[in-house]
Amino acid sequence: MSVNRRQFDITLFVLTLVLVTIGLIAIYSTGGIRYLFRQAIFVPIGLAGLVILFLIPRRIIYGLTEPLYVLTLLLLLAVLFFGTGPGARRWFQIGSISLQPSEFAKIAVTLMLAKYLSYKREIKPNFASLAGPILIMVIPLLLILVEPDLSTALCLIPPFAAMLYWQGLRPLHILLLFTPFLSFAAGFSLYLWIPFFILLAIIVFVRMRFFRAIAALATSTVFGLLSPVVLSMLKDYQRTRIISFFAPWFDPHGMGWNAIQSQIAIGSGRLFGKGFLHGTQKRLGFLPNRHTDFIFSAIAEETGFIGSLLLLIVIGILIRRILLIAYNSRDQNASLIAIGFASILGYQTFVNIGMLLGLLPITGITLPFISYGGSSLLTCCLMIGIILNISARPE
Amino acid sequence: MKNRLKRLTHIIIILFGILSLRLSYLQLIRGARYARLSDRNRIRKIVLPAPRGRIYDRNGILLADTRPSFSITVIPTETNDSALTLLANIINLPLAELKRRLEPIVAFPSPVTIYRNADPATVARIQENNFRLSGVLIRIDPVRNYPYRELYAHVIGHLGEVTEEELVKDSTYRRMDYIGRTGVEASYEKVLRGKDGYEFVEVDARGREIGPLPEKRPEPPIPGKDVYLTIDHRLQQLAHELTKNYDRAAVIGISVKTGEIICLLSRPQFDPNIFLSTIDPTVWKSLVNNPSKPFYNRAISSGYPPGSTFKPLVALAALKDQVVTPTTNLLPCTGSFRYGNRTFRCWSAHGKLNLLGAIEQSCNVYFYQIGLRLSLDSLVEFCRRLNLGKPTGIDIPGESPGNIPSREYLDRRYGKGKWTRGTMLNFAIGQGEIMLTPLQLATLYSCIANEGYYYKPFLVSRIDSAGIQLKTTRPYRIDVPINKPDLGQVKKALTRVVEFGTGRAAQHGEITIAGKTGTAQNPPRPDHAWFVGYAPAEAPEVVFAVLVENAGHGGTVAAPIVGELIRAYFSYER
Repeated sequence: MSVNRRQFDITLFVLTLVLVTIGLIAIYSTGGIRYLFRQAIFVPIGLAGLVILFLIPRRIIYGLTEPLYVLTLLLLLAVLFFGTGPGARRWFQIGSISLQPSEFAKIAVTLMLAKYLSYKREIKPNFASLAGPILIMVIPLLLILVEPDLSTALCLIPPFAAMLYWQGLRPLHILLLFTPFLSFAAGFSLYLWIPFFILLAIIVFVRMRFFRAIAALATSTVFGLLSPVVLSMLKDYQRTRIISFFAPWFDPHGMGWNAIQSQIAIGSGRLFGKGFLHGTQKRLGFLPNRHTDFIFSAIAEETGFIGSLLLLIVIGILIRRILLIAYNSRDQNASLIAIGFASILGYQTFVNIGMLLGLLPITGITLPFISYGGSSLLTCCLMIGIILNISARPE
Repeated sequence: MKNRLKRLTHIIIILFGILSLRLSYLQLIRGARYARLSDRNRIRKIVLPAPRGRIYDRNGILLADTRPSFSITVIPTETNDSALTLLANIINLPLAELKRRLEPIVAFPSPVTIYRNADPATVARIQENNFRLSGVLIRIDPVRNYPYRELYAHVIGHLGEVTEEELVKDSTYRRMDYIGRTGVEASYEKVLRGKDGYEFVEVDARGREIGPLPEKRPEPPIPGKDVYLTIDHRLQQLAHELTKNYDRAAVIGISVKTGEIICLLSRPQFDPNIFLSTIDPTVWKSLVNNPSKPFYNRAISSGYPPGSTFKPLVALAALKDQVVTPTTNLLPCTGSFRYGNRTFRCWSAHGKLNLLGAIEQSCNVYFYQIGLRLSLDSLVEFCRRLNLGKPTGIDIPGESPGNIPSREYLDRRYGKGKWTRGTMLNFAIGQGEIMLTPLQLATLYSCIANEGYYYKPFLVSRIDSAGIQLKTTRPYRIDVPINKPDLGQVKKALTRVVEFGTGRAAQHGEITIAGKTGTAQNPPRPDHAWFVGYAPAEAPEVVFAVLVENAGHGGTVAAPIVGELIRAYFSYER
């Protein structure tokens, strides 16, 4: 087995190592030696996975795509019955470590979609063309949704959309695909739905023929009207739960508090930060789940604007790097895979940091490479392994 | 392809650019302020508890409201072990229990209520030791108040602290919150509760409030809605007065034209206020160990043999099945009746009687003979038609269905074919396995008074919010098919019961009362005394059912109480 050294993307590999290291340092700062140790176990496992995926011939990965996809579905199904977790069934507990199958689903769905789309070659905005990809994405999405884990389920949307776009579907058509669901979610509040509707109306009337535009708007209206109807059928406390599930910013008691604490932590870091291990907000225990979803707040508090901006830049370069690999790859399947992975990493980074900055509602989503959590780290490493493989040689 | 790569790159740049802009806003422009908030000052989230809705009687007399009370709260992040030890000592609570109450919320610098309804002496001691009790605050909260104490124990019910299971089930409750446990407080919990508000305040390093936090607008508490009961406070008080010499009794008054419950009393009672502060152990013990079970709502939760009050129903069933006519004379009463090798007794020797006379004199021998002619299935079916043997659906929890023993029930109880027609003799005089609650008897007589219109009984007539009517209960009527002439005959007999018969003690000068006495056997203890009556006999408005446990004859004990209640009912201005 020979690997052409020049084609091994050393930059991508180094960026990965840098991010993993930053993650370990931040976990030590926020969670102490115990969490550092637990997370460190996954670093060699992740790197081993990375190397294996880099070394094996890509046709093996392609050949394993369907079995992997089916296995993922089975695991997602199994976790509903045998899983553990507070309030939801998301993890498999194996000894002292717990694994979250929904994390690995991101990889399996991306591989499956890429294979399907590259096989189809051409994609058109009609039912026959889109039914396949939608089905591939929606089945695991629904399974994750019933855990319930809305934020992880939504992680399957960006690779789906990005890969359809990469394959030539117009952004307008991709948007229309999602409008009914956006309309349903916006329908919880009229203040949300009216701007949504106006925006949609402007877009469709500018870009589409009259009758199609009307049809698109009508569909969205129906879904928008549906959500207050669904809500009114529920009991008071069920409604509160549903709303805080789909629209956490309506629940000021729980969520508003965390958002404020996170913003104070970030803001108080100022230009240079309070220094490693000197974050006060973090130390006082004000930050909830500070070593998982809230780890960026702690980093921003301790390293300030300079540190957090640097971290953003590193992640940005990494994603740009993956996009370039996608562009340069002659193998369409591989190209699509890289696009999918880039969109997952970009989406998670934006949503995680965005919610800590008070731009987005607080939901449980990890910061790639950095957040505490074995499944998340492993998933990221495996993705990088496959991308390194793609960049290294043509199939 | 090149184009798409460019666009995707632009998207990434825009998204990360947004993050960087926001980051620089928070850290560079607002950084000084956040640094101040995180270093010297703190933010505190304060819950503003919603006052519970008020409860009124039908004429607007306040039966339950809220009053201010001292709560002791602790901010877990600002306290320490020595302060907690001292506090535990002052409020006389084990330290472990105190810590347990603070446990799940340690990361929040917001006050957690750990003790409610503190007395002034305790509050004074805490203030004296202020400097040693860091993180301990006194707050004034609205707490439930029942001005009439035990009088409405079984109507309004009482509150209790939420349990761990309830906290898991409904996350809008917090530990130490009160929740309705019985009565209207329980069944109208959602209406009465309201919604707690909250505010965020900035406090300095010493814990003194600097002011509200502009980032987070406060949300004022929404008080619970007000509830109007159908109860008439004057009647309730009178019922309380009239039964004060008896240990265990139940009184129900229903408006026969609507189903409104105008009085509901169960003795012994308890003061629901005791649940709102730390319960005195001796008071608690005396309540729990009281053999008369004060928490038991005898008016709706307890089935009793109805005794002779059941006879009018048996008479109606017999008339329907045409086993007798109003004028049928059966074997004369000699004071007892022999069936098989058993002797069934009557309370007197009545001689020759027809059906009406038998009701008037409450003659058992006559009804034994009806029992022999009547089929069990037909009697059971007739009871079901009158909604007996199942809960009436009153809007408070804990109602008993009573018991109407069907063929299947008796087979199960005695074995198939092991019970005889002798059972029917007992049923015909309202003894044996037949059990009815006082409420069921009241609804039964209200149906007789209405000549076949059954109204579902209810306690809450109206729900208001800030003086605006939100909801009014509409009477719910069920039409019960009973032959009108039969009903007329039975009503005539019931009028004669009070005029000439066993219920004379219920008599009242101007208003004609109709009703029936009952003396239910309860061996080996003394009999239960029953009286159910309605008035005016010619155009009924109101029905009262009174049960006094182990007090002897219905005619002597229960009938005068109903007489007094009816007299009072018609004397009140409405």
